Amino acid sequence: MGEVIVITSGKGGVGKTTTTANIGTALALTGRKVVLVDADIGLRNLDVVMGLENRIVYDLVDAVEGVCRLKQALIRDKRFEGLYLLPAAQTRDKNAVAPAQMQKLCDDLREHFDFILIDSPAGIEQGFKNAIAGADKAVVVTVPEVSAVRDADRIIGLLAAHEINEPQLIINRLRMDMVKRGDMMNIEDTIDILGIDLLGVVPDDESIIVSSNRGEPVVTEEKSLAGQAYRNIARRLLGEEVALINLETENSFLDKLRRMFSGKNNKRQ
Amino acid sequence: MKEQPVVFKGTRNGLNIYVANDSDLSEILEAAAGKLQSGKPFFEGATVNLTFIGREFDSEEKSQLLDIFSRYMKLGEVAFKSRLEPEEKHEKPDRDHYDFFSGIEEGMTRFIRGTVRSGQRVIYDGNIVIIGDVNPGGEVIAGGNILVLGALRGIAHAGVTGNAEAVVASYCLQPTQLRIAGFIARAPEGDTEKPLYPEVAFIKDQQLYIEPYLPGKGRQADFILNNKV
Repeated sequence: MGEVIVITSGKGGVGKTTTTANIGTALALTGRKVVLVDADIGLRNLDVVMGLENRIVYDLVDAVEGVCRLKQALIRDKRFEGLYLLPAAQTRDKNAVAPAQMQKLCDDLREHFDFILIDSPAGIEQGFKNAIAGADKAVVVTVPEVSAVRDADRIIGLLAAHEINEPQLIINRLRMDMVKRGDMMNIEDTIDILGIDLLGVVPDDESIIVSSNRGEPVVTEEKSLAGQAYRNIARRLLGEEVALINLETENSFLDKLRRMFSGKNNKRQ
Repeated sequence: MKEQPVVFKGTRNGLNIYVANDSDLSEILEAAAGKLQSGKPFFEGATVNLTFIGREFDSEEKSQLLDIFSRYMKLGEVAFKSRLEPEEKHEKPDRDHYDFFSGIEEGMTRFIRGTVRSGQRVIYDGNIVIIGDVNPGGEVIAGGNILVLGALRGIAHAGVTGNAEAVVASYCLQPTQLRIAGFIARAPEGDTEKPLYPEVAFIKDQQLYIEPYLPGKGRQADFILNNKV
């Protein structure tokens, strides 16, 4: 029986879709059978980020309404063995699906896949309720900004109200240089407020934007730091203990020199 | 559209029945019977205080009216009023109603296990103890004292019924806003240092003070502004 994990955040634009695409791909690369479900009905993006937009025939709403069989709506990603996408409908809205239908959908998918990753829409309304309806577990994505952390806090409260306890946290788009200058919330502050387990930290990385535009998840890029972070997150989801990657990049000779003398910035993040 | 002859409104103290001033008794009785019938399982066996508001009744009319109500419920206190006095409209506990809770030494206490997160609100007439944090966007409102065994980063309102003796204490007192009775204080602009000691907020001489939990512990906190509302 597979595990249903919802990826959610409350605030928009923090990287839920990118996170879903990359964790899903990374899990598939380890040989698991994975399906990515886009629950953002009416504003679908996951298909674009995965580069599968042009292969959509049926979508989630069609499958729920019985227009097609569930299997027909699933798009197999030919690049990665065992990776499938269930795209959202673009011409409908969140009310096209009810939580009970989503729950049934998740239970159907559970029988065929190891992991079912649900990309939740932003907000706390119907779309969010649909997305979490069938989930066993939740991953909350936030960026180190006060507003995003506030929304994540609200979401954690709502998840608890729906009996999805102990969600895990991904801090996305962290910029170590800004943290060091004291211009960005650091990892400790964020965890201190939210009080949930950290699943991973993903550094701000230009290659994410490039790969999203190309429709190729960044996890496939060996050299990308963000890609490495996502691969580690996938391994942690599989139960491995993986240390956080060192996000401090050596920018210049001066930096190195400074570090040699100060000694205290060697803390691994 | 004609105004409904009878409108029922449940309150904490019982049932308010608003009766249109210009309606006939037969109309009123019919409408009331209909409403009582549809709410039959709800009223059944309950003792209900009734307050009739609006139209005046003579004693004959009153007995007919109460006769209908008594078929569906046990009657508690019954009152007839020409209009609702304004203080009865308050949703929040007010001073008159909660006079019994004026002290800070003891009283009913509610314990909350876990963190009060953004968007969540805890309200209680007595004291509140939070075994957890109160995050920004979370609210704790108490008739008595508030104690947070963690960081208080949201809004706390102690002594909401006007009890200026109430205190707010936290292991890490960093509220967005702090209210005691009618006093409001907000956190100063800009970054503040994390307090190193548990602190207590209280009102003295019409001012809101924040001090370490025991006199002489830690540094004196002098940063809170105070404004009387």
